[in-house]
Amino acid sequence: MSDISHLIQFLFSGITVGSVYALIAVSLVIVYKVSQLICFAQGEFFVFGALTMTTLVSKGVPVPLAFFLSIIIAMVLGALIQQVLIRPMKNASVGALIVMTIAISLALRGLALLIWGRESHVLPPFSQGEPIQVLGAALQLQILWIVGITAVVLFLIWFFFEKTPAGIAMRACAENPYGASLMGINTQKTTLFAWAWGSGIGALAGMAVAPMLFTQYTSGVMPMVKGFIAMSIGGLGSIIGSVIAGLLLGLVESYTIGLISSKFSDTIVFALLMAVLVFRPNGLFSRS
Amino acid sequence: MKKLVFSGFVLMVFVALIAAGPAWSKEPIKIGGIFSLTGYLSWLGEYKKKAAELKVDMINQAGGVNGQQLVLISYDDNSSPEQASKVAQRLISKDQVVAMAGTASVPLSGAVASMANRYKIPTIINSGYAVDTSRDPYLFNTSHKTDFAVITAYRMFQKKGIKKLALLMPIGPLGEIGGTAARKYAAEYGITIVGEEKFDVKAADVTAQLAKIRNMNPQVIFSFVTGEPAALIGRNMDQLSFKVPLLVSHGNANPGFLKLVSNVRTQMLVPSGKVMKPEALPDSDATKKVIVEFNKKHVAKYGEPANYFSAELADAIDLIAEGLRTSGGTDPVKLRDTIENIKKFVGMQGVYTFTAKDHHGTSPDDMILLTVKAGKWEVPR
Amino acid sequence: MNALKRYWWLILLAAIAVYPIIGKPSPYRSGLLIFAGIYIILAVGLDLLMGYTGQISVGHAAFFAVGAYTSGILTAKYGFSPAAAMGVGVVFSATLAFLTGRPVLALKEYYLAMATLAFNEIVVTLIIGFEGLTGGASGLRDIPPFTIFGFSLLNHLHYYYFVWIVVVLVIASSIAVVRSPFGRALIAIHSDEQAARSFGVDCAKYKTRAYMLAAVYASIAGSLFAHYMGFIAPDDFGILTSINLLVMLFLGGIGTIFGPALGALFLKLLPEVTYQFQDYELLINGVILIVVLVFFPRGLFGILTALKNKIVPRTGK
Repeated sequence: MSDISHLIQFLFSGITVGSVYALIAVSLVIVYKVSQLICFAQGEFFVFGALTMTTLVSKGVPVPLAFFLSIIIAMVLGALIQQVLIRPMKNASVGALIVMTIAISLALRGLALLIWGRESHVLPPFSQGEPIQVLGAALQLQILWIVGITAVVLFLIWFFFEKTPAGIAMRACAENPYGASLMGINTQKTTLFAWAWGSGIGALAGMAVAPMLFTQYTSGVMPMVKGFIAMSIGGLGSIIGSVIAGLLLGLVESYTIGLISSKFSDTIVFALLMAVLVFRPNGLFSRS
Repeated sequence: MKKLVFSGFVLMVFVALIAAGPAWSKEPIKIGGIFSLTGYLSWLGEYKKKAAELKVDMINQAGGVNGQQLVLISYDDNSSPEQASKVAQRLISKDQVVAMAGTASVPLSGAVASMANRYKIPTIINSGYAVDTSRDPYLFNTSHKTDFAVITAYRMFQKKGIKKLALLMPIGPLGEIGGTAARKYAAEYGITIVGEEKFDVKAADVTAQLAKIRNMNPQVIFSFVTGEPAALIGRNMDQLSFKVPLLVSHGNANPGFLKLVSNVRTQMLVPSGKVMKPEALPDSDATKKVIVEFNKKHVAKYGEPANYFSAELADAIDLIAEGLRTSGGTDPVKLRDTIENIKKFVGMQGVYTFTAKDHHGTSPDDMILLTVKAGKWEVPR
Repeated sequence: MNALKRYWWLILLAAIAVYPIIGKPSPYRSGLLIFAGIYIILAVGLDLLMGYTGQISVGHAAFFAVGAYTSGILTAKYGFSPAAAMGVGVVFSATLAFLTGRPVLALKEYYLAMATLAFNEIVVTLIIGFEGLTGGASGLRDIPPFTIFGFSLLNHLHYYYFVWIVVVLVIASSIAVVRSPFGRALIAIHSDEQAARSFGVDCAKYKTRAYMLAAVYASIAGSLFAHYMGFIAPDDFGILTSINLLVMLFLGGIGTIFGPALGALFLKLLPEVTYQFQDYELLINGVILIVVLVFFPRGLFGILTALKNKIVPRTGK
C-alpha cells in the first residue's frame, strides 16, 4: 500500500468519526443557542436512537420506517424531558442545570440498561455492498450514508433557520429572549422545539454510525465528550463552526494516530484542544 | 392457661427444629462474588454470576460441603476499582465470607487483591492478572495465563508455517500483557514480530493503524483484546480487504462474540478453554465429563451453553468447595492453605495442581484454538 | 444559633470520636466513612474554586490522580515515607495548578470547563502511557499503608480517625480562607470580575491561587486514597469522577463548604442503600438525584438551613 493510499485511508477514517462528532456538536449547539444550556444527556439520545432503530429493524420493520420512527421517538423523549424537568428549573443557576442534565443522563442510562440489557447490539449497514476502492484506500458505503445524512441535516437546519418563520423566530429567541417575547414569539415553544431538534439530531448521529460500531447502554459517553470538544473548538453558538470543528477533530485524531503515535494520540488531541482554547478563547469560528 | 399453651407451642417448634436435622443445625457457608454488572465490563459480568450461582446450586443439591449448604453473596463492582475494593470489604467484614470469587479485569483484580491480602481471605480471581505468590499469597486465578493463550496459538502457527506476526494492541492492561507474552515466546516458535501498533478501545475505527500494519506484510495479526474492539478490527480488516487471520484474546470465547462477528469475514482465531467445544475432546480427557455435565445443567437453567467466563467461575466455586472439604472448617487462613494444596483437581478449565509458587494451576495443554465459521465455533484445520 | 456556627468543629470532632465507640463499626463501615471523608476533602477544595471563586472545573480528578500516583509511586517503588510522599504530591500538584492555571483560568465558563476536562484527560492518558513508572492501565500495586513516625495506620479505626481529622482541618482552613481578605477577593471576583479588577484586585493571581489551593486539597485526598486502597488504577481518576464531584457540589449546595461536604457524604453512602436494587440501581440513583435537584435547588445544605430556620426563627438580629 503506497503512502498516498495511507493518507487517503486516514482521510476516510477521519471523515467518518468527524461527521459523527459534527452531528453531535450541532445538536448541542442548537440546544445551547436557544436555551443557553449545555445538555450533558446528549450521549444518551445517541444511544437511544441507535438501540431503538436496532430493535425495530430486528423485529422486521423496514429500515427507512425504523429510521424515522427512531428519530421521532427521540424527539418526543427530548421534548418530554424539557417540559417536565428543565422548564421548572428556569431560575436555577447554570451549574445546577448542567448537573440536572447529568442526573437525567444517569437515569436514561439506567433505563437503557433495563430495556436493552448489557450486551452489545449490532445494526446492519443501511445498504449492502462492497467498500469502494479509492486509490488503494477502502471506503465503506456506510460512510457515504453518514456524510450524506450530515449534509442533509445541515441543509435542513440552514433552511429552517434562514427561511422559515418558525426558524427565524427561534434565532430571535436565541439572540434576545426578552425582545423576542415582546414581539409575540412564544419563547417556551421555541425552547421545546430546540430540545426536540437537539435530541433528534443526537439520535440521528447514533443511528448513522451504529452499523460501523456496536452499541450498548454505556456507548454514549465518549461521543458526547468528543461532541463537546468539537463545540468548544468551533465556538459555542456557531453551527457551521461546530461542523467544521467536528470534522477537523476527526481528521486530527486520524492523522495523529496514523502519522505520529497511536499510544499518545489522545494526549496530543487534548493538548491541542487546550491550546486552541487558550489562544483562541472563543473558538476558531465564533462570530463574537 | 394462655401462657401454658404458648410455651407448649414454642417447645414444639423448638423440638421440630432440632428434629429437622443437620440442615438446620449448621449455618450455611458464605462465599462472596464480585461481578461487573454495570459499567463497561457489564456485558460479561452476568455470565460469571449465572455460572457461580448454578455451581453453588449443584453443590448444595449434592449435599453441600461438610454437611453445610453454600450460599453465594454477590455484589456489583461497577467496573470501578474503587467500588470493587468497597464491595470486597463489604463481603469480608459485613457478610463475613470465607472466600471470594470474581473480578473481570486486571485493575479490578488488583483492587480486590489488596483487600484479600490485607484481611487474609482466599480469593479466586478470573482475569489477566498474573498472580505472584510472593506478593499475593491469598490470590488464585482460574483464568488461563496469557502465556498459555499465546503458546496455544503459536503452536498452530508453527505447524502451519506462519512466521510473520504483527501486533495491534489496545492501550490498556490487556495490550501491555499481550504484547509482553507475544514477544516472550516468539523466538521459541519461530515467529518474527514485524511491528506493533496501538489503538484506543473506544475508537470507532482502526483503519489507520491497519493501513500501517499492512506495509509490514504480516501473515497474521495479534490483538489481545476482548469484545467489541476485537470484532471492530475484524470488520475494518474486511473493509481494507486485508486477508490475514486475526488472533484475539481468550475472553472472546462466549456467545456474545459470535453475534458481534456475525457479518465479519476475516478469520478470527480465539484461544479458548475446552468448555467451548467439548465435542472435539476425546473421552479420555478428564475435563470432558465435568464440562458436559455442567453444560447440561446450564442449558436447562439458562437456555444457553456455558462459555469461557462461566467455566472460570464454576471452577472457582468448585475449588473453594474442595478446599473447604479438606480443611473441614471455615477458617479462611486454613482454607487458603488447603486450596494451595489441591492437586489434580478436575475442573472445566483444566486439571488444577496448585503449588506455593503457582496459583494458576493449569497448563497450555488445557487450551485449544478455535475459529468462527457460520456463526459456530470450529476447530481450525 | 451562633453557638452552632462557632463550635461546629467541636461537635463534628465529638461525633467523629464517639461514633466508633457507640457504632462499633466493622472495617467495612469505617471504610465507607473513610472513602466519604476523602471525597469530602475533594469536594470542599473544589467548592473554594467553584462555589466561591466561580470557576467551573470539570477536571478536578486530575489533581486527585496526581496526589494518589505521586504517593503511590514514591512509597511503593522508591521507599519514601508516606508523609514525605504526600508532601511531594502537594508541591507537584500546586506547581501543576500554577503552570496550567494562569492560561486556563483566563477562559470563561464553558470554555474553562472544556479546558479543565482536557487537562484531566491529558493527565490520565499520560498515566496510562508511562506504564513503566505508573503501572499503566493495569494499575499500581503494593502501596504501603500510611505511617506517622513509624506508627502504621493499617488498622481501619486508626485510619478512620486520621482521615477525619484531616477532614476537620480541611473544613476549618477552608472556612478561614473564606473569611479572610483573600476569600473576600475570591467572592468579589465571582460576583463581578470587571468590578473587582477596577478595585485593583489582581484577578488572575487570585484565581490561580484558588486553583492551587483546590489542587492541594485534592492531592492530599489522593494520597489518603492511595494508601487506603493499597492499589490504584487510572479508571478511578477520569472524567466520570470529576463529574461525580460536580454532582456532589450541587447536590449538597454549592458555595457553602458544608453543602459539598454533605453532598459528598450523601453520594458516597447512597449506593449502600440502592445496591440491593441491582439492575435498577442506576435508574434509581438518577431519579433520586433528579428529585433532589428539582425540589431542593439549594441542595441538601439548603434543606438543613431551612429546617434550622424553622426551628430557631430568625430574629433579625
